[in-house]
Amino acid sequence: MISLPFALLVTATLGSVLAGLSCSIAGVFVVRLNMASIGFCMSHAAFAGAAFGLLVEVDPLPTAMLFATLTAVLLAPVANRAKLNTDVVIGIMFSLMIALAFIFLNLSPGEAASGTALRILWGSIFAVSEYDVLFLSLLSLVMLAFVVLFYKEIIALLFNKKLAQASGINTYVFMLAIVFLTGLAVSFSLKLVGGLLVYALIINPASTAYQFFWDFKKIMIFAPTIGVASCLSGFVFSLETDFPIGASIVIVSALVLAVSIAVSPKRRRRSSASFA
Amino acid sequence: MNGAQDAILLRGLSAVYEGESVPAIRDIDMSVASGDFICVVGPNGAGKTTLLEVINGILPHTSGEGTALGLSISENGDRIRKRIGYVIQNFEIDPLSPFLCRNVVMSGRAGMIGLLRFPAKHDWDVVNRALSLVGMESYASRPVGKLSGGEFQKILIARAIAQEPEVYLLDEPFSNLDIKARGDVDRLICELNRGGSTILMVSHDVGSIPLSCTRMILMDRGRIVAEGPRNEMLQTGEISDLLRCRGSEP
Repeated sequence: MISLPFALLVTATLGSVLAGLSCSIAGVFVVRLNMASIGFCMSHAAFAGAAFGLLVEVDPLPTAMLFATLTAVLLAPVANRAKLNTDVVIGIMFSLMIALAFIFLNLSPGEAASGTALRILWGSIFAVSEYDVLFLSLLSLVMLAFVVLFYKEIIALLFNKKLAQASGINTYVFMLAIVFLTGLAVSFSLKLVGGLLVYALIINPASTAYQFFWDFKKIMIFAPTIGVASCLSGFVFSLETDFPIGASIVIVSALVLAVSIAVSPKRRRRSSASFA
Repeated sequence: MNGAQDAILLRGLSAVYEGESVPAIRDIDMSVASGDFICVVGPNGAGKTTLLEVINGILPHTSGEGTALGLSISENGDRIRKRIGYVIQNFEIDPLSPFLCRNVVMSGRAGMIGLLRFPAKHDWDVVNRALSLVGMESYASRPVGKLSGGEFQKILIARAIAQEPEVYLLDEPFSNLDIKARGDVDRLICELNRGGSTILMVSHDVGSIPLSCTRMILMDRGRIVAEGPRNEMLQTGEISDLLRCRGSEP
């Protein structure tokens, strides 16, 4: 087992808890709105951003966050403007970001395989700083406030977008807010979980919660709980095995999801009902 | 344009979907007085749903003018939508949907309650009353994913009732319902109209037109092709002929 200095242990633990909290809250929206590919797109945008940072010889992490956040902010307006499904725009942005990443790396001789770029791809405990914890704390507070203050609008939107609009809710603003907050959750969790894997932290805990509960309020409580538990378990698993923390968190959360699908009372009841 | 006396007033209204060249509805002239019960019938693709979406401002019109409740539909979308109850054409409900019936019904009031305000006791009373009106009060804590098609349709109607609207736009409210559920929903719609609400309902099924309906409008290929009192319209056979011709007669 890896032994860490106490300060680093506290920072990494707090980072894990807050990344699990913010990503899984975003996941509740993303999964229900069928925007699962958004995390995938943003994580690759972050990769492109990191490559751009290497090219212009600045810290690749802020540029990774900038690219991921910009992609998040642009997704909804582009989809809205082009009258395209968000998933189509995500597909376009995803390929564009990968292309940009390859060009940036190609223009940075000797850096393509560097540890800095690769660490952003799969995350590292050692990369998490006090500032990251502070940003994640603020983001978690904002996300919790968003859920509490706009709970009735969120339910209306997640139940049916057209009906929500028909009852006088400005669905465009709420969709924009959800995409933006998801982008921030991805960006702030990049250092810990890694760009290639962070989307799993968005999708897995929320999908697990959806397997068990019929009441949206319970999903809003249990998805973050599962997210935090997955992150902490993944963190311990990473220390025990010396696996990368991002991969460890994803393996734990995927296992939890697989078990939850197998034992889901929702599915069991439906399948027994269908045979009745 | 003075639409103050009419619940809905449309003059030369046309709407074209993005990327299309042919208008989905064209040159629509229509007036719906407060308290009217009007049914718009026509084959699939006649533009009935488009008409409802243009009236409540979900779909912008491309020419002509329209008012709903005295407000221009092109400038007052959100304000109008808070005062119009919309029952969407029966969509496929996700069986794992994580929403309880009472929350779905309350979501109909979300717009009128307003931002940064929590539902008060009065709002929950209205929700319970709406559930009671559709005979679904015992379903308040049930997940919508477990409901049958008829029960779900009643929840959607309760959602619109909870909004306490002045006008109801009902899009194929009888679709996917069995005979008993049709009867229940028919009675409910007629009661709403007797209570003073204005109703504009669209259907492709002539057999489902409620008796309380006073006027019928026949649409085909985006245009209004005939209109008149319910009984006269049903007697002419024009509607049945058109629906049979377009293959929409059940």
